[in-house]
Amino acid sequence: MTEWEKFVKQFITLGGYKRVLDGLLATIEIAVFGLIIGIIIGTLIGIVKVMPKNNIFVKIIDKIFTVYVAFFRGTPMVVQLLLGHFIVLPLMKINVDAVIEAIVIFGMNSGAYVSEIMRGGINSVDKGQLEAGRAVGLGYWTAMFKIVIPQSIKNILPTLGNEFISLIKETSVVSFIAVTDLTRAFRQLGDATYSYLVPYLMLAAIYLVLVLLISWGVKAMERRFKKNER
Amino acid sequence: MNADFSNGEVMNKNAQVIIDIKNLRKNFGSLEVLKGIDLQINKGEKVAIIGPSGSGKSTCLRCINQMETSSFGEIYFENDLITDCDPYLHDGIIRLSKTFNRLMNSGLDENCAIEKIKKERLLKKGEGRAFKLAKKEFEKNNKIDVNVARRKIGMVFQHFNLFNNLTVLQNLTLAPVLLKIKTKEDAEEKAVELLKRIGLEDKANVYPSTLSGGQKQRVAIIRALAMEPDVMLFDEPTSALDPEMVGEVLELMKDLANEGMTMVVVTHEMGFAREVASRIVFMNEGIIAEENNPEEFFTNPKNERLKEFLSKVL
Ligand SMILES: Nc1ncnc2c1ncn2[C@@H]1O[C@H](COP(=O)(O)OP(=O)(O)OP(=O)(O)O)[C@@H](O)[C@H]1O
Ligand SMILES: [Mg+2]
Repeated sequence: MTEWEKFVKQFITLGGYKRVLDGLLATIEIAVFGLIIGIIIGTLIGIVKVMPKNNIFVKIIDKIFTVYVAFFRGTPMVVQLLLGHFIVLPLMKINVDAVIEAIVIFGMNSGAYVSEIMRGGINSVDKGQLEAGRAVGLGYWTAMFKIVIPQSIKNILPTLGNEFISLIKETSVVSFIAVTDLTRAFRQLGDATYSYLVPYLMLAAIYLVLVLLISWGVKAMERRFKKNER
Repeated sequence: MNADFSNGEVMNKNAQVIIDIKNLRKNFGSLEVLKGIDLQINKGEKVAIIGPSGSGKSTCLRCINQMETSSFGEIYFENDLITDCDPYLHDGIIRLSKTFNRLMNSGLDENCAIEKIKKERLLKKGEGRAFKLAKKEFEKNNKIDVNVARRKIGMVFQHFNLFNNLTVLQNLTLAPVLLKIKTKEDAEEKAVELLKRIGLEDKANVYPSTLSGGQKQRVAIIRALAMEPDVMLFDEPTSALDPEMVGEVLELMKDLANEGMTMVVVTHEMGFAREVASRIVFMNEGIIAEENNPEEFFTNPKNERLKEFLSKVL
């Protein structure tokens, strides 16, 4: 049997495609929901970072966020997964599906990166926009969410797209906490036949397609935003 | 300070006074930009503020709606305090301070002690519990949320600051709807009416980036009007405009003035000030150096710096 025939047999006749599909789904779930959580956390941190630090409460929250960002940006993703899976969750006696664990940890990690992106985005919006919002009587948060954040999202869309792309690629380490993602599914296919050439080429191709799809999607969104406001 | 607020417990409950600024001071770090501004603005008045660059005109205007938080002094909007309580304006509160007690123990008489504290600005942090409570109590009885006051204080900026992510119509309806002052339908109806007034009803659904400077500023003015404010603040509303667009904006402002709107306008347009203002205030180096009606102000200036300034701009 050639490499290709071995792969086809394993993939189709023996039902390997089911595992791959599940893996693909897990990869996409972790990246998409991770990004959503990341955007929520990142926006929150980003806003606090640019907030006037005129009361002690804001100052404390700001310090906590600084430590948070330093931790998640300063340690490898795998280490964060291991810490979460083997230390934090058992300590808290929480038992959830490993995919959900991965989503939360990726989300928290992404939040740290998105917060920096978001801060840059907010600073790129003219100060007068917030002022005009406050001047008509809107509160700080309302003015931020209705006026400043929408404009900064537009400015940071390409960077956010890149964050999504690195997130997709980084999910390939989730097998460390026993999640079957795309990478693990193909490795298992290879293990089953002791032949890795086709599965791994296939794996690379699928990641590449995913990344190209995202880039294309982000470009389309940018174009729509531009058309909207011209 | 002058006799008006040597006794801080006497409050001016005059319904005619819309804005009452008492001994306003503002520091940016160690730079003192406003050095004690006293200004009362009555209902229907049109006050023009002029003065050299860097004299603190914008800062003063921005303190009125607390876009800039003042360092000392008090500002009342329609008799409600919108700044913190400034103990220097309240003898009764000064009397509760540790500094006052120390001066009394050292043999000063009461009035001297109070004068000394005010003059040398001796109050520090940690003037004791009674002092703090009295301040709190005063704020509890007089202070309102600045966001509520801002709804009634329209502001127009030099650089328009229309919300770039919203259409012209949404610019006009955002705040009234979010703040539940109007329903969406009412707000839109009012917005269209205002757009018709400035002849831009066909621009309702475009984004601000497609408007000319003059159109932007006129939309910015009606955005403030959509809140039905009691007073409008303008910070050099025409100085970012191409010359051919200045006229249309000044026309709209004149219309507002004729309708009886209370207006405070920082401007370099001396013609406008002379024609529209009921009072002109000259600011120089953080104080009001002279104020008068337009006639006297231009024909008979007294302050040396004002004379010099007028000789340059007229
Ligand atoms: N946010 C700020 N931080 C530090 N300094 C400031 C700030 N805003 C204003 N200043 C300083 O305060 C002084 C007064 O500024 P302000 O803008 O009130 O002057 P102005 O009278 O409006 O001048 P112009 O005619 O140029 O607009 C200036 O020296 C300015 O540099
Ligand atoms: Mg100015």
